Amino acid sequence: MLQYDFMQRAFYAGGLIALMAPILGVYLMLRRQALMADMLSHVSLAGIAAGAVLGMNPTLTGFATAVLGALAVEFVRRGYRSYSEVSVAIIMIGGLSTAVVLMSLNPAINKGFSAYLFGSIVAVNQTQLTLMVITTVLGGLFFGLLRRPLYEMTFNEETARVSGVPVQWLSLGFSVVTGMIVASAMPIVGVLLVSSLIVLPAALAIRLAGSFAAALVLAVVFGLTGVLSGLSASYYLDTPPGGTIALLLLAMLGAGILLRKIGLKLTRSRNKQPAADEPASSTAGTTARYANSNVIGGQQE
Amino acid sequence: MIRMNDVRFGYHDTPVLEDVNIEIHKGEFVAVSGQNGAAKTTLLKLALGLLKPWDGNVVQERRGQRGKLKISYVPQQVASFNSGFPSKVLELVQSGRAAGRSWLSLSRPRAADRAAAEQALRKLGMWELRARRIGELSGGQKQRVCIARALVQEPDLLVLDEPTTGMDADSRRVFYELMREQVREGRTVVMVTHALEEAAPYLDRTIELVRREGDTWKCCSTTLCSGHFMPAG
Repeated sequence: MLQYDFMQRAFYAGGLIALMAPILGVYLMLRRQALMADMLSHVSLAGIAAGAVLGMNPTLTGFATAVLGALAVEFVRRGYRSYSEVSVAIIMIGGLSTAVVLMSLNPAINKGFSAYLFGSIVAVNQTQLTLMVITTVLGGLFFGLLRRPLYEMTFNEETARVSGVPVQWLSLGFSVVTGMIVASAMPIVGVLLVSSLIVLPAALAIRLAGSFAAALVLAVVFGLTGVLSGLSASYYLDTPPGGTIALLLLAMLGAGILLRKIGLKLTRSRNKQPAADEPASSTAGTTARYANSNVIGGQQE
Repeated sequence: MIRMNDVRFGYHDTPVLEDVNIEIHKGEFVAVSGQNGAAKTTLLKLALGLLKPWDGNVVQERRGQRGKLKISYVPQQVASFNSGFPSKVLELVQSGRAAGRSWLSLSRPRAADRAAAEQALRKLGMWELRARRIGELSGGQKQRVCIARALVQEPDLLVLDEPTTGMDADSRRVFYELMREQVREGRTVVMVTHALEEAAPYLDRTIELVRREGDTWKCCSTTLCSGHFMPAG
């Protein structure tokens, strides 16, 4: 499989995106912007259509449009602070409707669009690979060097601002990086499934991780596993890479949630056993020790 | 420390606060009170610079000392908005130490950060739960974790919006005593509360928001409590 150039490019590109997309997903989910990736991919489609109609490189126009769309959503979000999902809907409608109208102007370009919609291993060309390398380097620097203020902003924007974090600039930078990652991921998983690569590994990692750093690492591990095994399966089974990767990630999420539930049940039943055998004095001591701590049993949320 | 001069503010075209003239001094424990919808949180946000007044100005100053005023803010029920946050209690509180440092995350957490986090958590009776994820705690416990996070920043000014919500009686008493301790160490504490009677023995001063006309509220009648500061305005 790896003797083919296009497969090598797909694995390089997939590996790079699987490093960045899940990290972005953790932040997007915690900022309640999980739909942003989906929205930006639709906006990017308008850029690709515009590029095709105007005779420009669709990859570059799609990339630029995704970044501009991310900036637009940041500004609209500030206007609709209480209903941030409204900003996502507004920009998504704008992007998709523009794409549909532009595509109707030149029916010949419709054919090549299935690669963008559903993802294709052969769709990854040298320009896209170069853009992915640039995105990975810039994204890595952004998430690595600004990890501390990003953590502050993600926990609470107001407390972060009061502590001196330049939240507006950081949020703007975050939006630009989001646009870049979404546009880079599109050739692999396609417009319709781009959010799967961003949201699913993050969703599982957030559930399982015991710390913020662990959530980031786990998300990358799940992302890499899903993308690399999905690309291989797609090659051997002759299935679309986007759908195969998304299905594998969904299966991982389902299995992870199930295993966690089983693990929690086992822990609870194990904890129940010795408690029943404990002498009364010991239980009373524990109660007294926690009386001032308002300890609750198990999980509330 | 904080002066609000002739501040006027509203949302959209509707004014909610008018003629706000208050001064909060270094080393006092002040409560802001008023009915529901009296713009107490708005007043705090104006003082913090999170909102810009329509008219008038807000001055934050650190008299006799260099640098900007160091402020820690605990919004209303801050932790309940983000219950799925994948951080353990100790990690979350310890991260508060780094909040005011350089933007770039080049340095690793220091031993002093952990020690400060431990001290704050012990004071608030939360040390036993340091290894729990924040989402696994009750509302009152989350609130105490967020207060501990604010304390480790060693601020000049500590601003808390209804900090005792969800706390039991023992925890509230511990909280009030802890705030007095902060004031003794030279910090200023401002909090919004509805439990004025309970908090009164610990306070220096209260600022009350009173209705002016319609939905517009005026600041303020200030009442001297057990402290030594003269009411402003």
